[in-house]
Amino acid sequence: MVNGPGREIAVVATARTAVHESFEGPEAVLVMECVNDLLGRTGLDRRDVDFTIAGSCDYLAGAPFAFVLNLDGVGAWPPVYESHVEMDGAWAFHEAWLRLQCGDVDTALVIGSGRSSPGRPREVLALQTDPYTMAPLGLDPVSLAGLQARALIDAGKATERDLAEVAARARPGSGAGELLRAPYWSAPLRRHDVARPADGAAAVLLAAGDRARRLTGDPVWVRGVDQRIESHHLGLRDLTDSPSARLAAEGAGAHDGPLDVAELMALHSHEEIILRAALGLAGTTVVNPSGGALRSHPAMATGLVRVIEVARRIAAGEAERGLAHASSGPCLQHNLVAVLEGDR
Amino acid sequence: MATGPPGGETPTLTNVVEYPYTRTTGPVLGPFLTGLRDGRILGGRCGGRVLCPPLEYDPGTAAPLPFDPVEVGPGGTVASWTWVAEPTRHHPFAHPFAFALILLDGADTPLPHAVDAGAPERMSTGRRVRARFRDERRGAITDLYFVPEEDAAPRRVEPGGEPVTITEHLISLEYREPLHPHRARFVQGLLEGRVIGQRSPVSGRVYVPGRGYDQLERVPMTEADDVPVADRGTVGSFTRITPVRYYGQKETEPYIRASILLDGSDAPITGVDVRTVPAGEFRVGMRLRAVWRPPGERDVSGFDNRAVGGWEGVFERWEPTGEPDADPRDLREHAW
Repeated sequence: MVNGPGREIAVVATARTAVHESFEGPEAVLVMECVNDLLGRTGLDRRDVDFTIAGSCDYLAGAPFAFVLNLDGVGAWPPVYESHVEMDGAWAFHEAWLRLQCGDVDTALVIGSGRSSPGRPREVLALQTDPYTMAPLGLDPVSLAGLQARALIDAGKATERDLAEVAARARPGSGAGELLRAPYWSAPLRRHDVARPADGAAAVLLAAGDRARRLTGDPVWVRGVDQRIESHHLGLRDLTDSPSARLAAEGAGAHDGPLDVAELMALHSHEEIILRAALGLAGTTVVNPSGGALRSHPAMATGLVRVIEVARRIAAGEAERGLAHASSGPCLQHNLVAVLEGDR
Repeated sequence: MATGPPGGETPTLTNVVEYPYTRTTGPVLGPFLTGLRDGRILGGRCGGRVLCPPLEYDPGTAAPLPFDPVEVGPGGTVASWTWVAEPTRHHPFAHPFAFALILLDGADTPLPHAVDAGAPERMSTGRRVRARFRDERRGAITDLYFVPEEDAAPRRVEPGGEPVTITEHLISLEYREPLHPHRARFVQGLLEGRVIGQRSPVSGRVYVPGRGYDQLERVPMTEADDVPVADRGTVGSFTRITPVRYYGQKETEPYIRASILLDGSDAPITGVDVRTVPAGEFRVGMRLRAVWRPPGERDVSGFDNRAVGGWEGVFERWEPTGEPDADPRDLREHAW
């Protein structure tokens, strides 16, 4: 972990595509749209980007080495210095931030992209579970989320109305009472309690120190990033808490100052309730002003979009300091926290 | 695999990604799965606790944990549950059922598993359930499921057989998507006897088939950028393949796999199999022309959103044009 006084790294530009229920073209086109947007905003040439890293998942589209083809969106010539994580772009963001700490590169392009529409994400992601004791049962993320939601309700830490209120905030024009009348899907979860995977991409450009200041008048400094993971055996976890999110927030320095805004990657309503508690968010912190992942879930970009949402609010002067959270795996198994701050 | 009527709606691709994973079971999961095959559920002692499923390591310290088996269950208590209203084809039941965390009698950690309860009204936290072993068991977590305790009937399970050391899990995922628009136009062109490329609006280079974008200049390409190219060209590169046997292999005789730079294009088509030109005569720079299959006999199913291995579905064969060879040095930029 490189937290504390390291090299100053800032988000200098952000980009994202529209979120498509089913995008009709190649994923590389989504990536290209973001990359061109970032280069246009910063005036950088592609050759000025020292390091490129993408997060995506070949299993979503069912195409081996899909991540290699996505590089077409970055530009196939001259060759780039690049890396990839088979995860949400938020984890690419963490690697880029660490890579910049090394001091020999000054700019990094971070991409998250996915096309969920060809496959059935519920069945695909069931294969993330333990291959001996869970995957053969088809234990999918929605069902596992249902187990977690029930555990939370049984423990008295939430009610079905609390879940409906989280969902209602993500759906303008709806009310909790109305949502509670919907049928169960994976009881106690209803369809509106579950983020719907979609197609899309997002990207950010990171730069170090003075380079960041030269590229933008509104650098958003990334003060800390940390990620922690818990057991893949549900029986070994307290599903009503998220100690990994808590540790990641501590590691990222979330509580070194007040947080004006927090964007949480809660793919199921109850997860927001668990995360608010585990991250120790005060009542003054505005949570998920974007509507969060329940409103829009371009899988493999959703976590990186949380970073972008916080960064844009800080760059716009709407917030001074914020927290971006991303999760991976069933039942908030793996959590990442980034702390962003304006240029005071 | 492209399916659907030519000229009609955009064809939909169906792609099945399938693989039979074979895994060794090791010193703890092996006995656990052997137990399931024999009608017994084993937990493992860890300090003062009994873990089920058992682990090879202490989850608190990550220290190796010698297997100290304890039989648990077959009864247990529901610690949490969800009602699966719409099962997927990977679930243990085709009808609605419950997934539950089940604290088996004698265990300290709950096991996630399926309960065939019939209706959600028969599920609740704290309710008693009992394991039911399937008649056909092979040493897998799917050898059993749970039922409400009052539904359980005594049933004799015959143990026997060798210890389980290998487990198999067939992964099968189905993907469906329309052909990308540029691919649909390309495929339709082939059915009509035309090879369609895309000309970069920036560099003027022509790519066959187009990708819907220029990956060098990073610009999208649309229908306006479609251009016809010739069905004849120059061998840019090739290899001679001697088939080896593997699952799914259909080839038995040696053949040539070539890249051909079609006239009017700047990037070769790849994966072109040539069987009609003797290997000894084949060379870079050689001029070839495609002989089309008759219109009603063209098969474009080998072209999906990525693969270009379907040329033989539309071209019956390639034959030398008799023209003088191109200078191989002019092809260096186009070799693949």
